Parts: sequence; structure tokens; C-alpha cells
Amino acid sequence: MVMAAILAGTAFFVYTQVARSSYLTGRYLERQQPVQFSHKHHAGDDGIDCRYCHSTVETTASAGMPSTQTCMNCHSQIWADSPYLEPVRESFRENKPIEWERVHDLPEYAYFNHSIHVAKGVGCSTCHGQIDNMPAVYQENTLQMEWCLACHREPEKFIRPKTEIYNMQWQDGDLNAEERKVLYDNYKIRQAEILTSCSTCHR
Amino acid sequence: MSMSKSRVESRESRAGRRALFCLLPSAFCLLFIGCGVRSDMQDQPRYDAYEKSEFFSDNRASRNIPEGTVARGHLKENKALHTGKIDNPNANLQVETATDATGNTLVSSFPNDIDEFPVPVTMELVNRGQDRYNIYCIVCHGPVGNGDGMIVRRGFPQPPTYHDDRLRNAPVGHFFDVMTNGWGKMNSYADKLSAVDRWAVVAYIRTLQISQNPSGTTAMNANTAANTMPPVGTSNSNTSGGAR
Repeated sequence: MVMAAILAGTAFFVYTQVARSSYLTGRYLERQQPVQFSHKHHAGDDGIDCRYCHSTVETTASAGMPSTQTCMNCHSQIWADSPYLEPVRESFRENKPIEWERVHDLPEYAYFNHSIHVAKGVGCSTCHGQIDNMPAVYQENTLQMEWCLACHREPEKFIRPKTEIYNMQWQDGDLNAEERKVLYDNYKIRQAEILTSCSTCHR
Repeated sequence: MSMSKSRVESRESRAGRRALFCLLPSAFCLLFIGCGVRSDMQDQPRYDAYEKSEFFSDNRASRNIPEGTVARGHLKENKALHTGKIDNPNANLQVETATDATGNTLVSSFPNDIDEFPVPVTMELVNRGQDRYNIYCIVCHGPVGNGDGMIVRRGFPQPPTYHDDRLRNAPVGHFFDVMTNGWGKMNSYADKLSAVDRWAVVAYIRTLQISQNPSGTTAMNANTAANTMPPVGTSNSNTSGGAR
């Protein structure tokens, strides 16, 4: 019986570790895209605001993928002859969207809305990591339920001021506990019982 | 809890224990398979935003609005608000253009653009304009509108500065028209900025103009809605400082 318990415990531990591994969550795996688009260059070096391309993040569930015209706002003029950008020009010429590889794919039984998160003080980098340092974007977190709940139980530990939502350099240590409490109250975030209720995310 | 456990244990025979022992690994194998394979619950028979569709010939699940239809709440009744143009343009008065040294085609007369904001110019509107400007416009026009944004430094043709007499005296409808329909090398930003947001950006551009030319403030106020401009003027000391 003791042997069985030890074996079961070990098996359970191995199971949880494998379930959280990037093999099953897709975490840290860079995706190859049809265009060699670098967030490091555009968001990092050029300092373009996230919302220039992901322009519906404040108003809709999806953060928004840029239309090819958004690319052409600049690339009709700069790097306009680059062979790397031929898929972009082709998309623009033939009116066919670029088929990007999805990096963050939540299971469809989970309801997620970007707009409420950025409105209540969750910054981009809190979930997506330092995108401005990623030449090819990868998933920074497991996107598992335990990870969602870690914040829904104690949102005050993860929120930041409204002006810093799109700041990729923001560190959670930039605020002390009292400032966080004030922020939490000002954002009027609901109590943890509601945020962790089943139907908040499974509708 | 312990009671039931002991009862279960006492009921377990030797053979039962052995069966359990064999079952455990197979149960874990099943769990692994459950995790590795996406089940129906995870990919439900509906479209997410931007999802690929095998049904439509162009493979786009997000469909364009059929031509000639107006979405609820999107009827552009108010011409001034949605176009920045006056109601009865004089057909004899055409826009005059000139070409500057860098090859930009510049509008030099603005006969059909409205000269007053169709929305009340408030502190909130200017702040909203600053917020939007710093996302969509700053990349080329630069923090104060000199036309030295990061993308221009990367090689994009330089846009004209806001801070010359031509654009200081341009009616507000002109800026709105350029944002709505594009001009020269600049594409339309109507898909990124709602009509009210575009007016907010116009208000912020006026604020920038005042910030770079404080002595000209009076003339500018006379040129735009005189009664609504003072809040813009007073905000300039706060906003331009941050923008710089």
C-alpha cells in the first residue's frame, strides 16, 4: 500500500509537471510566421504603440490584428522593395489577408475579453511578457486556468496605473502595497469571489 | 473521510489492489492523451475573430458589410461631423495646391472645410486627442508635430510641419479631411479613429500649434471657435510639456 501511494504520488507529480510543460501548453515556443515580422523592431526599436496595430484592444474582446493596409501605411514608402515584404505587398495587391500563425490560443470554453483587462489596469506585458524583446513572438505564460486564477484571486498584485498599461518596461515592483490598494479601489475591481466565480470565465 | 477510506481498504481484496495498481498507469496514460489532443470543447463549431473559414471562398470568417447597408448607429447623418466639409460647397472654389521643396503636395486654400469644431472642445476631448495622437500620429508627425517622428527618421518622406502659417490658419475641417481620406503619402486613419476621435486629434493638433507659437494664440482663437478655445489654450502648458 505504501509502495502504491509513493508510486501514485510520483505519477501525479510527473503528470502535473508534464501538464504544465511547454510540450503541452505551447509556452516559450516561437512561431514561424508567413512574414518575418519582428515585434522587437517595431515595438522595441521604433517605439510604435501596441495600439497602432492592435487597435481594438480597448473596445473589443479581440485585441485586433492589423489589416494589410496598416502595414502599408509605412511600407508603401520604406522597405517598399524588400523581398521580405513581398507577402505583404501580395496580400495588399490581391486583397487577401495574410495568414498569421496564432500564438495565443485559449480553449473556446473560456471567455476572454481584452478590453476589460486593459480598462482595469492589466498591462500587455503582464500576460504577454516583454513583447518588445521578442523578434518572433512566443507565449510567455501557460494560459492555464491556475495561471488565470492566480491573478483573479489577487488582482491588486498585478495591476498598474492607466498610463502604464502599454509600457513594456513596467515592473510589478514599481508600486508598493498601499499604492496598489488605492489603484485597486480606483479601478473598482470586483471582489475575488466574483472574479473567481465559474461563470465569469465559463459563460 | 478516514472512515470511508478504511472501509474501502477493508473491502479491498488482494486481487482488487493488484487491479488498482494496474489501472493507475493506464488512467494516467488516458489523461495524457486527453491533454495532448484538442477535444470538441476546446475547438467549438463557431468562428473566433479572424479565424479561417472553409465555407467562404476567400476563407475569411470575418465578412465585409454588404454594400449599401448601414450598421445600426453608423448612419453618417451629420455631414460636418463625419466629413469636416461645409454643407453647400461653392463649385467655383477649388482646392489650390502647391509643391514644396521635399515634393509634398500642399493644400494652400481650403474653400470647403468647416472652420468650427462640430463637437464641444473640452479638456477631455483634448486629452483624448493627445492619447490618440501619441499612438497613431506621433510615429511620423513627431511628438510636437514637426514631422520628425521615428518612422521619418527611418526613411519615410517627411510630412509638413504643423507650425507654419499655412497650417496655423487652416480650418479644422482640413485636418479632419486628411485623417479621414488620407493625403499624399499618408493613408486614411478612419479605420483606426472614430469621427469623434479624429476631432479630438484635431483639437490636440491645435493645442500643439499654440504650444509652439504662444504669441499667435489670439489669432488662432479667432480663427476657430472662439468661445470654446480657451480651455484648449490653458491645457497647453500641461499637455505640451508631457508631449515633449
